[in-house]
Amino acid sequence: MIKIENLVKRYGELVALDHLNLEIEEGEIFGLLGPNGSGKTTAISCVLALLKYDKGTIEVFGKPMAPDNYEAKKQIGVVLQNVAVFDEMNVRENIDYFCGLYVAEKEKRKVLVEEAISFVGLEDYTKMKPKQLSGGLLRRLNIACGIAHQPKLIIMDEPTVAVDPQSRNKILEGIMELNRKGATIIYTSHYMEEVEQICSRIAIIDHGRCIAQGTKEELKSMIKTGEKITIEGVLLDGENLTDIRNLPHVFEEDYEQQLLTVRCSGAKHNLVRILNYLQDKDIAFGRVFSELPTLNDVFLEITGKELRD
Amino acid sequence: MLHLIKYRFICTLRDRTSMFWAMAFPLILGTLFFFAFSNIGKDSLDTIPVAVVKETDSEAANVFCNFLKEVEKSDSGITKVEELSEEKAISELKENKIQGIFYAKDVPTLAVGSAGMEESILESLLDSYNRNAEMMGKIAAERPEGIAAAAETMADAQNLVEETTIDGKEVNGYLQYFLALIAMACLYGCFLGFTTAIELQANLSNLAIRRSITPTHRLKMVFVDLLVTFAVHFVNLMVLLAYLIFVLKLDIGSHIAETILVCAVGGLIGVALGIFVGSCGSGKEAAKIGVMLAVSMVCSFFAGLMMHQIKDLIEKNVPILNRINPAALISDALYSINVYYNPQRYIRDVTILLIMAAALGIGAFLMVRRERYDSI
Repeated sequence: MIKIENLVKRYGELVALDHLNLEIEEGEIFGLLGPNGSGKTTAISCVLALLKYDKGTIEVFGKPMAPDNYEAKKQIGVVLQNVAVFDEMNVRENIDYFCGLYVAEKEKRKVLVEEAISFVGLEDYTKMKPKQLSGGLLRRLNIACGIAHQPKLIIMDEPTVAVDPQSRNKILEGIMELNRKGATIIYTSHYMEEVEQICSRIAIIDHGRCIAQGTKEELKSMIKTGEKITIEGVLLDGENLTDIRNLPHVFEEDYEQQLLTVRCSGAKHNLVRILNYLQDKDIAFGRVFSELPTLNDVFLEITGKELRD
Repeated sequence: MLHLIKYRFICTLRDRTSMFWAMAFPLILGTLFFFAFSNIGKDSLDTIPVAVVKETDSEAANVFCNFLKEVEKSDSGITKVEELSEEKAISELKENKIQGIFYAKDVPTLAVGSAGMEESILESLLDSYNRNAEMMGKIAAERPEGIAAAAETMADAQNLVEETTIDGKEVNGYLQYFLALIAMACLYGCFLGFTTAIELQANLSNLAIRRSITPTHRLKMVFVDLLVTFAVHFVNLMVLLAYLIFVLKLDIGSHIAETILVCAVGGLIGVALGIFVGSCGSGKEAAKIGVMLAVSMVCSFFAGLMMHQIKDLIEKNVPILNRINPAALISDALYSINVYYNPQRYIRDVTILLIMAAALGIGAFLMVRRERYDSI
């Protein structure tokens, strides 16, 4: 559906996109994950033919994307990072206005507007002006304006920034619902939990480059950390630590103030093996935690920094 | 297209800030002017104190004195004449108690203390009398049968004064303030144009980004926005004009079509100025609004908005400024057609305004028709 090849965008000396390559398939929720300033919004702006770029090609629906590619634009819906609605118009008028830029037929538009209002749950607020809405409701209006014409491809640029948890969940559920109805979705965020929750495929972007791409499982398998085991209140000596380090799949251990942290590669029964060892040696221990790797671990291992750095 | 036009109208009309500056502010200022300056013209024009000094007791001198008395008694009541000795008259002139001294003799003359509107009227009065007296002499010598009709015309001194000088309109600074106000209102269309630019340029607002990525043809969107903005501002100007004429009862003039044309071209300049400034670079909105406000206020000031004599001062010293100041051109075009009835000057002013409107309009259009940006 979208093919980006060798995309380069410079702002003077700053390279915002550095030979970016991405391919987005029909029917997926594709996550663009990266810290602020990594190039996500710039990439989206290039795809939408808003930004000039220095090098590379962008194809949307099999055709080169250009400002006058109106056929492609008809099938794209965009939910911008910042709320972009008219303060002078009420909720219904705003949705109708933006829907009307895609759908000329009045009767059809009327139905679409009602569906969009119902989809984002703004039925009780249709006559209110944007300034009268709360932050969460405003975000929902922003989404309704972007999707009312029922596009095949929806690009959502950090739609949950500064949104309360309740509205965030509603938005994420809505995105999955849109996908179930057949829309392909590109979802950019620096919230790894959201991306992990809804995206079927993910590209991690940093410094304008795609540093990893695949499903969640594929990405997690790219790093050596498969599981992180933490055991509290345990008394160990040097010999015990050597034994633990020599257990299968353990590649790193850390022991400080009776807190043992063990990192294992992705394999089954890591926790069982460690607990069996402690029982065999008759070593008492407190609470035990086992954490599977997150996308942040993936990002940390690939780039050497936290996702929110 | 209708969809775009409908919502553009809604947005523009509901944009309180822009509409305040483009519509409400000129109306408020007009009302303030009305209450502040409404007596200026009347006081200065109703009565011009003047002395008449009889130098001879000839028939011609007596006729002239009678003529002045008739003018004093007429409906217009332009002058208040007092017969004085020369010495006393000069003394009063020096003390500014009177504006001039008429010397009644075979060919009457006038002495004034300074140059101003009242002095011009006295001069005009004397010129009319002398021309008519000369004409009467000629008629008496060449066509004695027409002397009665000529005398009747001569007696109608009030008409002579009015028609030869001001095309039936009062000449006063009071009117100039309102013409400068109309000019300012035209330029204040820049606030509407500015909002239009912000909502069209994707590098200036999120709203413009959203509008730019839709399948609506760019030129169609630009055209509708410009058209609606101009239409709204034109209506604003017509409301102002109607308010001045019908509510404040201001005698702007009888050349309504020409006045409306000036308002249309002036309004176009205002809107185009706003779009042009709004589209220039991606600087802060507040700074751009500051620039716009400064440009429109300075232009209006030099057009006589705060001090009606300023335009004449510029005309005497730096006339080129009046040729390139759109506010001065607008007020001058309105004044020249409605007060002086000087079509040549009116056409010159309107032509310059049209050139300005075309240049700014083309510049503004080129700015907002961009589809791709270097940065957003």
